[in-house]
Amino acid sequence: MSIFLDANTTVEVQGATGKEGAYWLKHMKEMGTMVVFGVTPGKEGQKIEGVPVFSSVRRGMKQHAADLAMLFVPPRFTKDAIFEALDAGITKIVSIAEGVPVHELLQIRRAALSCGAMVIGGNTSGVISPGRALAGCIPYWIERVYRQGDIGVMTRSGSLTNEVTAEIVKGGFGVSTLIGVGGDMVPGTRFAELLPLYENDPETRAVVIIGELGGSMEEEVAEAMQAKIFTKPMVAFIGGRTAPEGRRMGHAGAIVSGGRGSVSGKVAALEKAGALTAAKPSQVGPLLREITAAR
Amino acid sequence: MKLFEFQAKEAFAEQGIPIPAGMVATNREEVLKAVKGTGLPCMIKAQVLRGGRGKAGLIKRALSEAEAVEKAEGLFNSEYNVRKVLVEAAVDIDRELYMAVTYDPVDARAMFIACAEGGVEIEKLAAEHPDTIVTVTVDMDWGLMPHHVRDLTFGLGLEGETAKAVGDVARKLFKVFRDTGAELAEINPLFIVKSGGVIAGDGKLNIDDCVAGGKYPVTREYFDSDTEYEAALEGIPYIPFDGDIALMCGGAGLTTTVYDLVHYAGGSVAAYVEFGGPNYTRARDAMRLCLKKTCKVLLVVTFGTIARADVMATGLVEAIRELKPAMPIVTCIRGTNEEEAFATLRAAGIEPLYETEEAVQRAVAIAAGRNA
Repeated sequence: MSIFLDANTTVEVQGATGKEGAYWLKHMKEMGTMVVFGVTPGKEGQKIEGVPVFSSVRRGMKQHAADLAMLFVPPRFTKDAIFEALDAGITKIVSIAEGVPVHELLQIRRAALSCGAMVIGGNTSGVISPGRALAGCIPYWIERVYRQGDIGVMTRSGSLTNEVTAEIVKGGFGVSTLIGVGGDMVPGTRFAELLPLYENDPETRAVVIIGELGGSMEEEVAEAMQAKIFTKPMVAFIGGRTAPEGRRMGHAGAIVSGGRGSVSGKVAALEKAGALTAAKPSQVGPLLREITAAR
Repeated sequence: MKLFEFQAKEAFAEQGIPIPAGMVATNREEVLKAVKGTGLPCMIKAQVLRGGRGKAGLIKRALSEAEAVEKAEGLFNSEYNVRKVLVEAAVDIDRELYMAVTYDPVDARAMFIACAEGGVEIEKLAAEHPDTIVTVTVDMDWGLMPHHVRDLTFGLGLEGETAKAVGDVARKLFKVFRDTGAELAEINPLFIVKSGGVIAGDGKLNIDDCVAGGKYPVTREYFDSDTEYEAALEGIPYIPFDGDIALMCGGAGLTTTVYDLVHYAGGSVAAYVEFGGPNYTRARDAMRLCLKKTCKVLLVVTFGTIARADVMATGLVEAIRELKPAMPIVTCIRGTNEEEAFATLRAAGIEPLYETEEAVQRAVAIAAGRNA
């Protein structure tokens, strides 16, 4: 088992014939992901890596049912591409694009909530269930980083994810499913919304979150733990403990966040909820050993 | 992108939000000309992007032309790098409100925040008496509807003509927020004037960087230093600090982590330059920015996926050949095709490190003058 994505998840790839789309479609297939069709307007009838290409998601869905839409689409076309997948009835969407305007991100998340769909991203490297399937651009072939196991990982970061995940493997563990919720101001899916999935996944024994300065996603995780929505062991790494405060958004930012957003506040909230927090990536492995041995 | 007060007020005025009579001035003559327009008494407001201008003494009141000139020159000569002042007619105030439009990332809607008491103490008030803050969320696809405005004005306890005038400002402020692609449009304070009606006393407008470029091009005046301006033109994130080690790292998350690790190890950071994401092929430009700041060692840490390690290593070696940096370079470049990256670095006589903490220890030791 895993969450969101496994070896039986059927995937359609939007932007399949572009440089990035084609490169990662090949890797997704090589890893064993069930890619059923690709979408590039005007390229219907072509094949890429043996996968048929259609001019629209609906046209592809008439012949192949896809559970998940993987978007390699530039930011200015991303909103339309996500709504196209939603219109075709797809409820799992992963979008990597960085640079989608905030107002469009609001519309995307609101539409996903209304449709009961889950949009992962944007500004992310995607989702991987090591050994089974990949939706995104994650170098699964680097064995010291991506090994199958029983640790769920949620992250807001890219490069830091490779860094921390390597420490999970070094600690003797592997990953059930890693989900990059992305670095946008309005992520399509928030950390706390993934917790019930990890909670119900028998293969996930503990979860590591890789957080950052700003926003309130880490505090929401702490609240979910306090409310017993998530009861498995949790280790958190949050970078920026010594960094100067990030950008401020007038008085409104402070009022909205209600004092949340600082690294020290996040660490305190998570520790109070029972998570162990790492000051350095290299502590993540040992802390995982400690917290999984204790239960 | 944060705009100056005068730019925010221009955007407000375009939608018909009342603002005080005023004019931007950059020197003594322009101040005199502006005062003729605004009349006396007038306010002299430094156009700088930092918050808390009132407390820092960057907003002055003048009763005569001579005083206006004197106060403006005081601001131009202050330590705050003031290039422009906004000269405005002083307003006869009855009371002050707070009104802002921003967004709620959880609810995924635009959000009005308002309070019957405006002014500089708004954050304290919000923390101590959250019940005094009125919030109304607005779906971006629905747009602002009459019931939203009613929730706002009744929530503020307003009646009659004042409620009507504030509601009108709310509609126009939402239009500013929407049309400019803002992350924040804030009026604090929103003056209720003794003679009736409302006037925006101050204006904040933060535009989403993704959409700002067209109407608000990047110019020198938004930045504290030439290098920061240059970095912004290049599209490379750059933050200067006062320490010894220049960080050329990939990804904001990894960079803040390296920043932490440098501090834990007893070192200090000279500058941070983003060498990842869309900039991973631009080693030369990134290194050029790094070298603008005096530093004792250059620390390169990456763990990229799309930002391939082999491409970054090749770029780094070429940049070193071209720019010939005088200080030692410590590298820890990993990720996609890292074996090729290590080979490239070794061939150029650079020892490729593999562990971030080891690289940080090495850089801190070099900066401290110890042989690593």
